[in-house]
Amino acid sequence: MSEPLIEVRGVSKVYDGNSKVAAVNSLSLEFHAGEFSAIAGPSGSGKTTLLNIIGTLDRPTHGEVRYEGRRVSHLSREEAANFRLRSLGFVFQAYNLIPVLTAVENVEYPLVLQGAPKGERRSRALETLAWVGLEQFASRRPDHLSGGQQQRVAVARSIVHRPMVVLADEPTANLDSKTAASLLDLMEALNRERGVTFLFSSHDSAVLSRARRTVHMRDGKLMP
Amino acid sequence: MLRLAWRNVWRNRRRSLITVSSLGFGLAAIMFGQSLIKTLQAQLVEKATGSITGHLQVQHRSIKDYKFPDRYLERPERVEAALRGHPGIAAYGKRIHVTGLVSTPVGSVGALVCAVEPDKERRITTMAGHITRGSYFEEGACRKGGRSSERGRSPSTEGARGIVMGEKLAQRLDLRVGEKAVVMAQASDGSMGAGAFKLVGLYRTGSTAFDSQLVYIPLAAAQELLAVEGKVNHIVAKLRDVREADRVKRELAENLGAERDLQVLSWKDIDHEIVGIQRYQDGLLTVVLAVVFLIVALGILNTLLMSLFERVREFGVLMAVGARPAWVMKLVLIEAACLGFIGSALGLGVGSAIIAYYGRWGLALPLGDAISYFMPFPSVVFLRPAWASHLGAGLCVMAVSFLAALAPALRAGRLRPAEALRHV
Repeated sequence: MSEPLIEVRGVSKVYDGNSKVAAVNSLSLEFHAGEFSAIAGPSGSGKTTLLNIIGTLDRPTHGEVRYEGRRVSHLSREEAANFRLRSLGFVFQAYNLIPVLTAVENVEYPLVLQGAPKGERRSRALETLAWVGLEQFASRRPDHLSGGQQQRVAVARSIVHRPMVVLADEPTANLDSKTAASLLDLMEALNRERGVTFLFSSHDSAVLSRARRTVHMRDGKLMP
Repeated sequence: MLRLAWRNVWRNRRRSLITVSSLGFGLAAIMFGQSLIKTLQAQLVEKATGSITGHLQVQHRSIKDYKFPDRYLERPERVEAALRGHPGIAAYGKRIHVTGLVSTPVGSVGALVCAVEPDKERRITTMAGHITRGSYFEEGACRKGGRSSERGRSPSTEGARGIVMGEKLAQRLDLRVGEKAVVMAQASDGSMGAGAFKLVGLYRTGSTAFDSQLVYIPLAAAQELLAVEGKVNHIVAKLRDVREADRVKRELAENLGAERDLQVLSWKDIDHEIVGIQRYQDGLLTVVLAVVFLIVALGILNTLLMSLFERVREFGVLMAVGARPAWVMKLVLIEAACLGFIGSALGLGVGSAIIAYYGRWGLALPLGDAISYFMPFPSVVFLRPAWASHLGAGLCVMAVSFLAALAPALRAGRLRPAEALRHV
């Protein structure tokens, strides 16, 4: 068995409010490169918190996250941003495209942040848009795209810089079943044909059935 | 980043337009105020120096009240030599100012008797341009006249015994051009000098003080009247550039350093009340500028905070994609800079147009009537641009926009991606 790409070791996330709430509780698991895996669980089970911690968007209260053996859970804000920029891709439930940018500009934005030359980043963004079947919509702004198209653009944005893993938080939750199935087809194809590692969360059984591996969560803990 | 910032600025078009309009019209108002104050200040200096003070004066060192020099200068030719050799001097002339009494059969009126060298004075002050009847002395009027003191000597020539006075004073004395008045003043030997002068010119400056309290006579006649042959009580000079007054004053003082009985004064020393007015106006303008800049800053702050609250989730996305906190801060600052730049450009455009309009057509200002009591001053002010001040104000607007954006920028930079992404 190869070394894991992502190691989650004893991770807990406790929110301090009127009473302490453990959104994630002493959780350990591993993911390998090339996986097409899902984190399943009902609302409030801690899926998003876990994905945020794995994606360095949030820090664990206890425990650590490692990528290829490198501890990333306690990086500074700047270091974490750099790590995300080079190594991670994100797809969100609400698409979260930048509304003032066109589809191709949204896709090329990670490359802009990386400082890639203009010509190169534009050609790579267009190429990636073609992978998700939206090259003809490159110059449209998000408000002129359907929900499914916006999410495809978001997927293109998440893979344009060739990250180690794409973290997708309920990527189909805002889509109808047909569009959701189409998006999953796309993600599967990218995983199968281009080797993109996907880790996504969902509580939809139809979506979860597409994952090759599913981990279940309830009340911040892994279920057997 | 600039493209994103620019598009973000125009995301809420109406709000941004209101913001840049408030910036622009605020700056235009500042420019108008600057131009008005600077024009008034420049006119005050021009009118004061052009009516009587001149740009520089050389007086006796012991004199404290520079407006009324009551000590005479011996050998004024040494001063003339120094003035003649200085490249910054455009014209100069000798003078005697003395208080006296002007009498006609109708009555007597106290007046400031200004004894001048008419031919030279024409090049120093504008009084000759205010003549409404007669003339500002005839050619050769500065030749020696006659002292008609208690000894009762008559004048040698008519031109040399001429007097020019304001219309109001002539009216009070019921005097017409061609008629005679007697001027009396205390001579240097303590005797009372008196002489008959024929009214050769009437002027109207619009200034009550000038038109009813000043009379002009030729210097030579005054010297004889006051028994101060060859002496004057000050020498006045006009500079090629009034802004060089301090430098020329310093250089002349150095050139005349050996003459320990002399002092060189600039118009700022003599008309120090104008300098005080300028300082007061500048102070007032600074307060107004500060208030306008505060309003500008609050406008920008409000716009950026609103924009920030609306886009918290978007900042979270940018950070998730890999934007560093400093990058997000920079984005907000550039957006503010864009607003500041557009507002400044708009303000400079509108402000310049307003100034150009009032520069061409004039601005009727009641203030002119008030000032003109003391000195000739127009009631219509033609605005002049003060480009250095205007550009400074424009830069200040941009700087204020930038500074006002610091707090929202810091706030944006400190957002935690996970929390920002949860923001609804």
